Amino acid sequence: MYWLVVRVAVVVLALSLTAWVALSLAILVGRVRYDRRRESPSRALGEREARRLVRRASRRSRTDRGAWRRIAALRRLARARHPAALRLLRAALGDRDSRISGAAVRALGDLGDEWAIDLLLKALREERAPRSRIAAQVERLAPIPGAALLPLLRDKDPVVRFWGATLLAPYPELGGASLVMLTQDPDPNVRAAAVETLGARSGDAAAGATLALLHDPIWFVRVHAARSAGRLLGADGGPSLVRLLSDSRWWVRTAAKDALRGIGPDSVSALLPMLVDADAFARNGAAEVLQDIGFVDHLALERPDSPLLERIYAAGGERMREAAEVRTGRRTRERKVRAA
Amino acid sequence: MTGGFTGELLGWVVVFCLGYLLLTNLVYVVLVFVAAFENGVRRDESASEDYDTLATSRFTIPVSVVLAAYDEETAIVPTIRSLLALDYPEHEVIVVNDGSTDATLDRLRETFQLEPYEVFVRRVFQTEEVHAVYRSAEHPNLVVVDKANGGKADALNAGLNVARYRYVCGVDADTVFDPDALLKGMRRVVHDPARIVGVTSHLTIALDPGRTMAAPPGTRPIDRRPLVAYQHLDYLRAFFNNRLAWSRLGFMLCAVGAFQIWRRDVLEEVGGYSRTFTCEDIELTFRVHERFLREGRDYEIHCLPDNVGTTEGPDSVRKLIAQRERWQRVIDETVWHFRRMWFNPRYGSVGLIGAPFYLVTEVLAPAVELTALVALIAAVALGLFQPGVFILMLAAIAFMNAALTACAILLDDVQSRTYRTRDLARLLLLAPLDLVLYRPLIFWARQKGSWRFLRGDKAWHKFERNARAPAA
Repeated sequence: MYWLVVRVAVVVLALSLTAWVALSLAILVGRVRYDRRRESPSRALGEREARRLVRRASRRSRTDRGAWRRIAALRRLARARHPAALRLLRAALGDRDSRISGAAVRALGDLGDEWAIDLLLKALREERAPRSRIAAQVERLAPIPGAALLPLLRDKDPVVRFWGATLLAPYPELGGASLVMLTQDPDPNVRAAAVETLGARSGDAAAGATLALLHDPIWFVRVHAARSAGRLLGADGGPSLVRLLSDSRWWVRTAAKDALRGIGPDSVSALLPMLVDADAFARNGAAEVLQDIGFVDHLALERPDSPLLERIYAAGGERMREAAEVRTGRRTRERKVRAA
Repeated sequence: MTGGFTGELLGWVVVFCLGYLLLTNLVYVVLVFVAAFENGVRRDESASEDYDTLATSRFTIPVSVVLAAYDEETAIVPTIRSLLALDYPEHEVIVVNDGSTDATLDRLRETFQLEPYEVFVRRVFQTEEVHAVYRSAEHPNLVVVDKANGGKADALNAGLNVARYRYVCGVDADTVFDPDALLKGMRRVVHDPARIVGVTSHLTIALDPGRTMAAPPGTRPIDRRPLVAYQHLDYLRAFFNNRLAWSRLGFMLCAVGAFQIWRRDVLEEVGGYSRTFTCEDIELTFRVHERFLREGRDYEIHCLPDNVGTTEGPDSVRKLIAQRERWQRVIDETVWHFRRMWFNPRYGSVGLIGAPFYLVTEVLAPAVELTALVALIAAVALGLFQPGVFILMLAAIAFMNAALTACAILLDDVQSRTYRTRDLARLLLLAPLDLVLYRPLIFWARQKGSWRFLRGDKAWHKFERNARAPAA
């Protein structure tokens, strides 16, 4: 047994010492070569290299390594705007390997011409890659896609309509009527996307559709409608938004508070009646928004004995008073320093 | 080997211990090959990733970064600055001051111009009392929650109550992050948010993370002190030789506390961070696996090879032992708590490989190491083993470890090219001496940890932060 132990130890030592030396050399030599390569300037795509890349990008890959080589070739050709790039990317989009189709989406975003946009929208319809990733590439190309997005709003697939409505956000001049119609879509995700996009627009139809969705039975549609109402309607949306402060869903209440904060001091008149609402969430929420828009600090500094301030504290709780006192105390000190 | 019954017994003990060592190292060698494959796949994936679009698109999933801080006055400001500087389209930073007894809150108030506000939040998790919530006049995405002390898990749960986004990234107060950390961490998630519920990534170690991270990748230094260099090697081995392989094999069992991204609905479903364990990260990872596998749900938890930040390492032997003792204890607690998963086919690769791997290489290791040490010393003392053979065995073990360490250094360098060539050379030379210079400390810490686990000690024993130059 003794000699067995000794023999095993010798074999292990020999093997591991060799491995350690070999790995150390590989690390150091590899690093030096990498540093040298990094310093050499990048070359333009030559004809011979282009032919090699086209061959590599056309080849279906059976191995992992092959797939990544194909991806690298596709990217290089797309960046160099090689004439074969579009054909190869179209083929790559249809590849069953999600890595290849995903890389094609990215390369099409790099190309960014009308053909590329058509292919990206086709990929979006057919879900050739995660739709959010395709959408990110389409949006990156704004304002080129523009009108090409409108057919998406009429697609049979609700997911495509959702993305169509979402991607129209940077184009306030496009698809207004269609978006208003989509606020009545049977699919709640489409309604939510449509109302979110309408939030950056104007007009009575958009305002009416947004207000209607504040009462949608699906909670996340109400969330998007609340955000939109704040942006689209401003102070006019206040009375409708404050009603959402007592919504059964926390996320809807939060969205309503965010929207009211966004409206700013113009929301005060809508918020004040909520301070005595029967619902505790509504009272808390109204007091919190009044605090966040600076109304509480204004009263505390200018009219500290105001009964209104007491009403806000009663709705917001003792900690709201303490926090306000700390803030206003600091501001008073700052004012004195400035005056001095 | 002679000497009657005692000699025979000692011989068998030595053979058993050597067998254990050979077996575990054989497993590590297999894991290194798997890790190398995973590293290559992730590297290629990262190279083809469109980080520019990811960093600017409104379709990139927003993240709430939650940081628990207890007595972190020296480390917290650089950490928060690095979090606020993250290159990510939409993220919020929630700092929870867990009843610090030092000037942590004062430092935060001064540096970030904090003001108290009353904020009504969801109380999804019960926590110790929240004293106040602060917002920064300078950074609208910074929220500071001041609460009564309840431990790190309690503080993270308080942060989760405030978090608004679908993904939550738990981080440590002593870690300084790369500006791309969140992009790197979320790049896998955005491709498949329905399946990927958790992600962690590679972190390195330094005495002063802020200063180390100030150097650009490629020229980043590794501390010259051997204690720190060995901790650095330890981290490399843990991330590259183990966690990457576990990730590929479907049993990534430790999303590290310093950088752990979780889908918030999953955290809510499993009840958030647990306060009943010494430390929260490994237990939570086990719990998520247990829940999803028990219910037969499709999910993934990943460890990525990208270097996302640098965390503070202990600068003295005493602090290192205190830290590693705690790590050993939490591993023991977790593996024991989830013992129903051991060798249980219902839990797939986690039950059949991951949990037993932890049991054999982490929980039982201190006992085997102690036995081996006593047996070898006794064998040499009784003249059953010649000192030359003893040294030969030590050399074999040392170079076996050194070869595995070199694999980890190679995988890291191929992935990130972060460090200077001369520092890599120094690490490679230090590797064979790990057994005599560093392992004895870890051996002692693990013995202490195991003993304290058996005694039911669950105290944190936080190590005192390193002294450093004041933040600019």
